[in-house]
Amino acid sequence: MQALIGTSTRLRSFIQDPRHFQIVFLGGFLTYGVLALGWDSQWMRYATLFGTCVGIQTIFIRWKGIPWSSLKSAVITALGMCLLLQAGSIWTLVFGATVAIAGKFLLRWKGRHIFNPGNLGIAAAVALTGDAWVSPGQWGSGAMLVFLVVASGSIMVLRVGRIDTSVAFLGTFAALVYIRTVWYLGWGADVWWHQLTNGSLLLFTFFMITDPMTTPRSGKARWLWGMGIAVLAFAFSWHFWIHAAPIWALLLGCALNPLIDHLMHGEPFHWVRPAPHAQRTF
Amino acid sequence: MNLRNLLLATLTLSALQSMSFCGFYVAKADATLFNDRSEVILVRDGQRTIITMSNDFKGNVKDFAMVVPVPTVLQQSDIRIVERNVFTALDAYSSPRLVEYWDDNPCQRWEYAESEVQMDMVTSTGNAKVPAMRDANEKDYGVTIEARYAVGEYDILILGAKESNGLKNWLLENGYKIPNTAHEVLDPYIKSGMKFFVVKVDLQRLQASGYDFLRPIQVRFESEKFMLPIRLGMANSSGVQDMIVYAFTRTGRVECVNYRTVKVPSDKNIPLFAKARFGEFYKDLFAKNWEREGRNAVALEYAWNVTPTWGGMKCDPCVGPPPMPNEFAQAGVDWANDGGGQVFFTRMHVRYGREKFPQDLAFQVTPNTEHFQARYILTHPATGDLTCTAGQDYLEDLFYRRTREMDELYALTGWDLSQERNYMNEVKGKLTPARRNGLEGPYFPSDGPNGNGPNGMLGFVLGLLALLIGAYMLRSRKTASIA
Repeated sequence: MQALIGTSTRLRSFIQDPRHFQIVFLGGFLTYGVLALGWDSQWMRYATLFGTCVGIQTIFIRWKGIPWSSLKSAVITALGMCLLLQAGSIWTLVFGATVAIAGKFLLRWKGRHIFNPGNLGIAAAVALTGDAWVSPGQWGSGAMLVFLVVASGSIMVLRVGRIDTSVAFLGTFAALVYIRTVWYLGWGADVWWHQLTNGSLLLFTFFMITDPMTTPRSGKARWLWGMGIAVLAFAFSWHFWIHAAPIWALLLGCALNPLIDHLMHGEPFHWVRPAPHAQRTF
Repeated sequence: MNLRNLLLATLTLSALQSMSFCGFYVAKADATLFNDRSEVILVRDGQRTIITMSNDFKGNVKDFAMVVPVPTVLQQSDIRIVERNVFTALDAYSSPRLVEYWDDNPCQRWEYAESEVQMDMVTSTGNAKVPAMRDANEKDYGVTIEARYAVGEYDILILGAKESNGLKNWLLENGYKIPNTAHEVLDPYIKSGMKFFVVKVDLQRLQASGYDFLRPIQVRFESEKFMLPIRLGMANSSGVQDMIVYAFTRTGRVECVNYRTVKVPSDKNIPLFAKARFGEFYKDLFAKNWEREGRNAVALEYAWNVTPTWGGMKCDPCVGPPPMPNEFAQAGVDWANDGGGQVFFTRMHVRYGREKFPQDLAFQVTPNTEHFQARYILTHPATGDLTCTAGQDYLEDLFYRRTREMDELYALTGWDLSQERNYMNEVKGKLTPARRNGLEGPYFPSDGPNGNGPNGMLGFVLGLLALLIGAYMLRSRKTASIA
């Protein structure tokens, strides 16, 4: 009985922190990519990203004296980068991962980091090294993958209360693409559907743009922010023909966050809400 | 495996029927319109794209006609005719390849052998007919002839159009028979600001040229769009069609951004009897892999640094001589011959159809310089007396190796191997009865091959998801009851 209660308590404390869900889901997608989609099993690449993210985070934990539980965020950043960032050399990955984590501690405004760490690291590696790239086509548009991403993503964004951002982004983006592709150009709706069911776009929608630490604090602001990022991503994609456009749109969106938070106030986000009865086991 | 015993006998995979990738063939009569396969050379350098279309048209050349959407009005200097052999050379160099190894006899020392491999050519026929183009009143249809060129044996028009019905009617009026479904794709191209590159053959000039076949046409333009318009080519295609893309860049591999780009299975050991059927082997392997990947992936068949001045190994084994300066020049890789930088060669094979490929293929150039080739391995057994203990050990290993080869072949192609028992029995026959008795066990797969396909992991991921949803529900219920 005691053991049962212990297990139950551990389970409760496990599911109280949405980061655990995120780690499990992202880890599942990485496994799916390697095993089912036939990605190259680049273990060195994954190990480099994990090692660097966790290592740099550890340095900052020791330096700033912040809780060790923040290592979970570094693991999420590493997983996100494993899923998206490709590079020719492991040093490019080290650079990207270092920028991602260090940016979290060094690029701050009023006690809060500005950029989504994974997003910043990927953008820096792609833009500055010439050795990195993102493969938007690597997920394909398989119906099952789409279901899995949307289902797990929905659980995730509901847990962190950022469903508004996902809906605003995806809804606006889908509408704009529909207007362009189906209404204006006259392609069939299947072309539009194929553009939207891209695994990379959906992962971005549910697992990157929704990072509660780098979305605006005010609910209204998040709606506007998600829509704004969708408009930018749309313009980048179909006016400038930039692939992986949402990555660049989010970078700009995050840069505006200090201004948005200044204009529209909201509650700061905490990964785990203080709960006196919950025993912390992590 | 000793390198001294390595002998590289290679094959080129046959060039199937080659036709234009993105044009639809038009017919006046009710001839069946059918494209099977096309070949395209795609050079991307910054914002510049050079596309060479093979035009390997098997029907009567006077019936040839092609409509290709292009992003800009091409000048005459942007269009040229190149030699057909550039495709042959690039195909030969980058084809899936078979490599042979010979085992040493553990009872003796070296054996050495050589072999030549013949390749079956597999061809299919297609036909299309087009009438001579007549003048039409362009204003009636909102169709503008932006330019008219005579290049080599071709008459080329660059058409601008305001709307698809006008263009469709113009083409009909000029004697082209437009497939019914062409209309739905003409409109999006017109609205995207694309122009139409319309080609027919001038028979007199073709005769004067001394060629009895159509030479490839090459166009070059500046555009931020790096894509191949496949939808128009589907207009007259029944089912699926194949396209081979030979892509060249300065930096690295080309990959598709709106479909998955996956490597074909490579470095597989296959039985010796597959050698005589290698063409069939690769065709079946490709088809099976295409199915396994959900029929909507682009297959990578070759990726290599082919910079003329680069000293590294160019291929293993080389199927043909590396591209020569003349071939680079013909292909439009104009920086290759003046030492202007790296040349990276990517070969992609797309089997596409309307259902699974709704979008045109969009590409990106990546810095990925990892080499890849589609390569299959034959290993010949040692010959001579194998009665010594080491020889018998070797034969046992050989038996198990051949078992794996058979399994591999079945998994790759799904061939019925029940007629190939002799391949195993000949090894068994050389073993002493005592050893032979130890070698039991099924080696012919009794059920379907279970590829590592997208469904392979499905159970795992679904299970994981169900578990988490369950955990989440559990928590919600607890929270509710506490409240």
